Amino acid sequence: MHKRLSELAFGESGTVRYILASRHELNCLGVRVGKHLTMITRQPIKGPVVVAVDGMEVAMGLETAGCVSVEVD
Amino acid sequence: MHDHHDRLTILMMGNPNVGKSALFNRLTGANAVVSNYPGTTVDVTKGYLRKDRHSYEIIDVPGAYSLEARDAAEEVAVRILDTHPDAVIMVVLDATRVERGLYLALEVIERGAPCILALNMMDVAQDKQIAVDAAEMQRVLGIPVVATTAISAEGVKHLADMIRKAQVADLSAIRSRLNGQEPDQGAVARCAGCGGGGCR
Repeated sequence: MHKRLSELAFGESGTVRYILASRHELNCLGVRVGKHLTMITRQPIKGPVVVAVDGMEVAMGLETAGCVSVEVD
Repeated sequence: MHDHHDRLTILMMGNPNVGKSALFNRLTGANAVVSNYPGTTVDVTKGYLRKDRHSYEIIDVPGAYSLEARDAAEEVAVRILDTHPDAVIMVVLDATRVERGLYLALEVIERGAPCILALNMMDVAQDKQIAVDAAEMQRVLGIPVVATTAISAEGVKHLADMIRKAQVADLSAIRSRLNGQEPDQGAVARCAGCGGGGCR
């Protein structure tokens, strides 16, 4: 099942299938196609999304997270 | 940049919070502010290092994730890189987050400046049981790779020794090595580790 990264529930994880935002912006933070990630937190009031990739936490804007398509485990 | 003292400029570049400033302090004896969170260095700190008969000006560049600047600190980093076209780049990587750091490292390498890579925070990597093969990285990248732990000064002397062996690397040669091929001779001028002077 595919979901937007911004729609992942807390603790849910999956594999990045495609990125519709500026790839560059996320790639340099370690989020790229094929990477496995886990939702850490989605801050309220359209706040940032924090995910764990390779044992490190990466924060991104909700809008950016909405551009990342994830295949849920 | 060679000024009238023939002093080489070294730019220390890397992701935020990989220990650039700690390493800078070790190399220069300076006292740049170091903390355990990213974004501590937002402007430029300069220091000097004399090693044997070589004299270096070392610039501690603010942390950046990429050379396509997305914030003020990254803009400063890119500007410093642009204004020092003759500098040697010391790319600093967090040994526990090698893959992320390599993104910036390859962007820097692609610009064609002589580079050396410091694999910092080796102590943390060991604690986390992360093994990093510096020799293999050196072989693949074609630039000297030195393992360091800035807070205990481990490897720092070796790093200082290796600065003058910084190499211009070639992305297509890196790609062929990753594919298990030996690149064309023209693409790799000399050995990354010894600068052509014979290996250890």
